[in-house]
Amino acid sequence: MTRSRIRTAVALVATAAILGPLGYFWQASLLPDAYSMMSMGYLDDGGGPAVHQHAGGVPVTQLRADPDRRPDVDVTLTARKGSFTLASGQKVDGYTLNGTSPGPTIRAKVGQLVQVRLVNESVPDGATLHWHGVDVPNADDGVAGVTQDAVGVGGSFTYRFVADRAGTFWYHSHQISHEQVRGGLLGALVVDPAKPVPDETDFVALMHQYRGYSTVNGSSEPAAVPAEPGRKVRVRVINTENGLVPVWVSGASFRVLAVDGSEVNGPAEVRDTALNLPAGGRVDLGLTVPATGARVEIGGAAAVTLGPAVAASPRPGATLDLLSYGTPQAVPFDPDRAVRHFKYDINRRPGFVRGRPGLFWTINGHLYPDVPMFMVRTGDVARMTISNNSGESHPMHLHGHRLLVLARDGTRATGSPWWTDSLEVPAGESFDVAFVADNPGIWADHCHNLPHAADGMVAHLMYEGITTPYVIGGAASNIPE
Amino acid sequence: MKTAYRVLAHSIMILVILQTMVIVWGFFGLFHWIEDGGVMNKAVLDDRDTLNFTEQRGMMLHGIGGMVLVPLVVLAFLIVSFFAKIPGGVAAAGIVVGLVVAQVALGIFAHGVPGLGILHALGAFLIIGAANAADRRAKRVSAPVEVAAR
Repeated sequence: MTRSRIRTAVALVATAAILGPLGYFWQASLLPDAYSMMSMGYLDDGGGPAVHQHAGGVPVTQLRADPDRRPDVDVTLTARKGSFTLASGQKVDGYTLNGTSPGPTIRAKVGQLVQVRLVNESVPDGATLHWHGVDVPNADDGVAGVTQDAVGVGGSFTYRFVADRAGTFWYHSHQISHEQVRGGLLGALVVDPAKPVPDETDFVALMHQYRGYSTVNGSSEPAAVPAEPGRKVRVRVINTENGLVPVWVSGASFRVLAVDGSEVNGPAEVRDTALNLPAGGRVDLGLTVPATGARVEIGGAAAVTLGPAVAASPRPGATLDLLSYGTPQAVPFDPDRAVRHFKYDINRRPGFVRGRPGLFWTINGHLYPDVPMFMVRTGDVARMTISNNSGESHPMHLHGHRLLVLARDGTRATGSPWWTDSLEVPAGESFDVAFVADNPGIWADHCHNLPHAADGMVAHLMYEGITTPYVIGGAASNIPE
Repeated sequence: MKTAYRVLAHSIMILVILQTMVIVWGFFGLFHWIEDGGVMNKAVLDDRDTLNFTEQRGMMLHGIGGMVLVPLVVLAFLIVSFFAKIPGGVAAAGIVVGLVVAQVALGIFAHGVPGLGILHALGAFLIIGAANAADRRAKRVSAPVEVAAR
């Protein structure tokens, strides 16, 4: 063999050594047209008793509220795709529910059975409704391809759940969620306490960006609370965006009454302090309207006004830390008796997801779909350490459960019990959280920066003996993220 | 193949220059937008579907260029170097690949550690220098030998 031929052969081998693995990883990342969440990734029992998945378990379709109970709140929401006019006059393209975006605010009293019928009139990709923050029965969780099929044009689906906890929640589509939530297929859900709080004005402030317009309740104009000076007001701020939004108050002090639909115990009055509200998160602020007026600033681009006009203020330098806010209180379970300890390590590396090259998020070192399936048995107390070494912040959302924050970067929580379902995990930080596995089903545990979820940043919590008949893809074209 | 090697070396230089141009365009657009009353926060930043100001395209182009286009061209450069028979050509291409890998990593991790941005800027010049050195190596081989006439 001549020297030149050897050289060419070496060059070909070197080329194959580069392109071969690339081709292999590309091929390996391709997904079938339909696949079940149950066969995805690998089982992770968190170091607890082994959890077995038997064929023929209980399908998620059976995990429903009492079918014989009459609904106390009965709503029909009709979803449409198209252009619509914001309350402040701008015309945008997106999605509406009953002709508006955000859709109607649904209000229920704690203990009531809420029934919502979703009718898809003209959303070509199909739609669902997920009840963000509400521990609904699994069949009503609204995740396309996991708990139901996406509702096609002309179809409908009825959600039924008991509103078991008073608080601020929201609902949104969980079919192609990164596009449909962005386009406005969402609304607020408020569960009022059984006895109304006396002498308090209640105001919902749902924040969303429509094609660059920062809005509160669908209007780019500041929302005015109908309350006179001296009146106590609860402002329920809902962040429906993909990134965190700082919230602060100009002209008044305030208290954080609730976080993610759970009341804060002993909230102290604060002033000139901002609270970072994660994507998907909610916070109830309590304040008394001063004679000189006040403004709740939402991200600096949207606002709620109370009383006489007051000038906007820039974001204060101080940030409220929920880890030490409020006063401690007994919690209904002992996190130290956890039988499982899961790890949710977030990182980032180049690779292929669904045949697409790019820089993708990894969970415990694996790219989608090779992600962990966190396995539990009903009644388990579980802990999870969520660590973020990906260089970017992530708002982590577990469906169907609320998490109790135990510690951040090893520093124990010392304030009110911090219950959350939408937890911002900044780059370089880690959180220890705990939860009780008391809601059987298959539950998404994902980043609520929805394009991140669409890029594969989604794992699941699965109960022993539960199965799903639904598939990702398939005839209903289920694409949950 | 030598021509392809040189074309790719030049392409890398041009792309990196464009990368610096579009990102600076983007940042000045951001400052201008804020001057005009625009408000930037994490939610606005993560609304990737909305163009708040024209120059935002510069930031998007920088992202696509840095994470897709430049790595692809650099990969092609390395493969072509195997066949180009330029003395030291593979090593020169390897240096460019190494610098681009480091540059992409710096671009990602600078989001969490902004100080790395200083090295990210320096990295652009190093890549241009390395691509230029590789090109000169190829030029020496492909140029006809000149006999000095006295």
